[in-house]
Amino acid sequence: MSKVTLDALRWQDQPAQATITVNGGPPQVYFQITAPREVAAMCQGRPVEELPRILSILSPAHHLCAAQALDRLFGVEPPPVAQNMREALRLALFFRDHLRKFYFLVTSLENPFADFWSQDAQRGPHGLRSLLDDLMRHVSLAQEAAIILGGRADHPVTAVAGGVSRSLKEEHHARLAEIAAACRSCAERLGGFLREQVFPQGKILGEIRGLEAGPLTSLTLAPEPDGLVLRGAGGGEAERFGAATLFDKVGLHQETWSYEPFAFLKAKGWQDLGKVPADSLFFVGPLARLNNGQPLATPLAEDERQRLVEALGPFPRFEVVAAYWALLVELLGSAEGLVALCEVEKLSGPVLRTIPKAVGKEGHAALESPRGLIYHHFRTDERGLVVEAQVLDTATANNGLFGILAQRAVEASLARKEPWEETKKRIELSLLAY
Amino acid sequence: MSRPEQKKKLAIYTATGCRACEQGILDLNYEVNELGRFADPVFWPYVLGTPWEALSEGKVDVALFAGTIRTEADRQAALKLRESSELLVAVGACAAFGGLPGLANLADATEAKAGETTGSSSADGEGKPTLPRAEPQGLCLSQVVAVDYVVPGCPPTQNLLWAAVLALVCRGESPARLSYAAGRLPEAVAEAIAAGVLPRRGTTFAGEKAVCGSCSRIKEEKKFGICKRPYQEYQETGRCLLEQGLICQGVATQEGCGGICTGVGVPCRGCFGKAPAIFDPGAKMVGAISSTFDSKDAKEIAALVENFVDLAGTFYRYSLPSQCSLLATPDKG
Ligand code: SF4
Ligand code: SF4
Ligand code: SF4
Repeated sequence: MSKVTLDALRWQDQPAQATITVNGGPPQVYFQITAPREVAAMCQGRPVEELPRILSILSPAHHLCAAQALDRLFGVEPPPVAQNMREALRLALFFRDHLRKFYFLVTSLENPFADFWSQDAQRGPHGLRSLLDDLMRHVSLAQEAAIILGGRADHPVTAVAGGVSRSLKEEHHARLAEIAAACRSCAERLGGFLREQVFPQGKILGEIRGLEAGPLTSLTLAPEPDGLVLRGAGGGEAERFGAATLFDKVGLHQETWSYEPFAFLKAKGWQDLGKVPADSLFFVGPLARLNNGQPLATPLAEDERQRLVEALGPFPRFEVVAAYWALLVELLGSAEGLVALCEVEKLSGPVLRTIPKAVGKEGHAALESPRGLIYHHFRTDERGLVVEAQVLDTATANNGLFGILAQRAVEASLARKEPWEETKKRIELSLLAY
Repeated sequence: MSRPEQKKKLAIYTATGCRACEQGILDLNYEVNELGRFADPVFWPYVLGTPWEALSEGKVDVALFAGTIRTEADRQAALKLRESSELLVAVGACAAFGGLPGLANLADATEAKAGETTGSSSADGEGKPTLPRAEPQGLCLSQVVAVDYVVPGCPPTQNLLWAAVLALVCRGESPARLSYAAGRLPEAVAEAIAAGVLPRRGTTFAGEKAVCGSCSRIKEEKKFGICKRPYQEYQETGRCLLEQGLICQGVATQEGCGGICTGVGVPCRGCFGKAPAIFDPGAKMVGAISSTFDSKDAKEIAALVENFVDLAGTFYRYSLPSQCSLLATPDKG
């Protein structure tokens, strides 16, 4: 038996590696997360109002999700200005996260640090240096918006039980509007570049052409409040249910070779990874959201969604290229959403939060984060200290998907007899899209 | 146009934590657009996918290490980077004090079952791969190897991160850059930087006093009678949060962030670590609270006790491993 470990995979939020074993037959690929994330243990015993700050270690969107769970736990409704500020923060995080992914995509062609002083490198072998600068300047701008709205961009602090903790000043309003407009232009410029050079048979993404993970069930927020939708691999709606019952529907399976558990549908039972079709698995994220096939509310994003359909065919789609395209659609949509939300009247008001009257015992919330649906469920004792915090993060929800993608990327690479370095790149580029 | 010989070699790595610290370093390159002028990141698995073997190609000048030591792989990474680097910098609260992942040390059960059951090297019968074994508890970097400098915060603020990179990576190169760094740091550190020499080993790139020193809130030297929790009503702006009865750790925390959290209406939780003059932040906080609390009313005293909850998880939110570790080995620095 031969065994190869590709370590460490680029661009992953957690330390990750792929181990490939070959034992005569087809290769067996293990997508491994090599460090634990003990968030339940970090939360246990904490005053529940501290969880938005603690859970943001998973991603900044968890700050918002935890605050929503607190609203429910304390039985308070945030005033409209607080809801708008939280939503604006969520959109700024979308923009930043998606744009950073495109930055990484471009760096797969060009090391942004190589040969800084050589004349050639100023433009780079592919002329991409200025594009990289443009993308990262706008990552910084989205970050600045997130700092205004969240206090900090990573590990934000302003979403509190019943609302937000800060009001915005005149200069903040002006700056947010300016940033939102700049982000929208950046997304449009990037769209032009991707349509010209990447989505057709360009030199970027050559590695993942033809690669797909489907068909797979998707899990997203439902249009009605506090509802979730499971959409079958064929695109039709399989089930709608209240978010509070999520962990009745979704189980977590632990393998000995990864610290990250695998989410699966309890109705189907845990099935071995590698089983085709993978009907006990599901996925979340931009492509899962677009797989509902519904038109989008903002014009630039909707146009882009139409282009995707024209080029690839109707939803549901499961190709990695479609996942990248979905990122662009949402990048445009989040910038448009920010432009619409960053108006003085929407982000100002006399009351920032509704003060809780009593400590509750239980609260949950589901939220669409940049990487996909996330969910929190807190139970507390009579003093509001956490007895149990159940969390579904996108890394757990998509763990099975990542395993499938890694498996298929390796198979494609072996069929072409590529060196391991190329195999690793193929895996990295596949996972980056989700 | 060619000055590659002056470029310092950088290594950047995160053990168990999140990616915000590393992303902060990446963002620097674009916020100021010149990291690449004087530094060459020769080892950066997250962004460049560099394998560990790259470290055998000669000494690295500065290694920026983020994340808590939670697994055997984290420990090995710390040892390797220490061995191959001239200067090792703990970046972020995780590496500096144990950080949020270290909070799990307080819980009775851990989720680290996968690693504990498989171990690091035991061969699996079915040929399945194994995981790096979990350490008995989370540790900060200095509990495993000697650390030269610390950049605290969860994540560190960009200006201090930049000041540290300038001071350690670009020393003696550009007076303008160095004066930027010097302007943000305590006098002794600033003097060293201005003179083009390394600041004293062990220096923390942060302010000299406590967060209260740069907090925008007004201290009226008034005492409080009711202890509050942050979900209760208080004034979002204006008065000092501690004097309003909230536990705010600005009193015991090292300055440097400028009071980010208190400035936007929430209490400090100490992500910059303890202020230099303080031995134990928990003891300091108990002292600060008891000297600011003033009530003879039995109900108010009962409310204080009632609302004074989870002291270890609050006072040591980011520093449990460095402050309360029984199993840790002593600092080798
Ligand atoms: S210090 Fe904070 S930002 Fe840095 S790795 Fe740790 S959790 Fe993440
Ligand atoms: S105790 Fe907190 S709110 Fe009061 S001055 Fe210090 S940092 Fe500011
Ligand atoms: S106020 Fe306290 S918790 Fe907030 S960033 Fe500063 S040191 Fe960290």
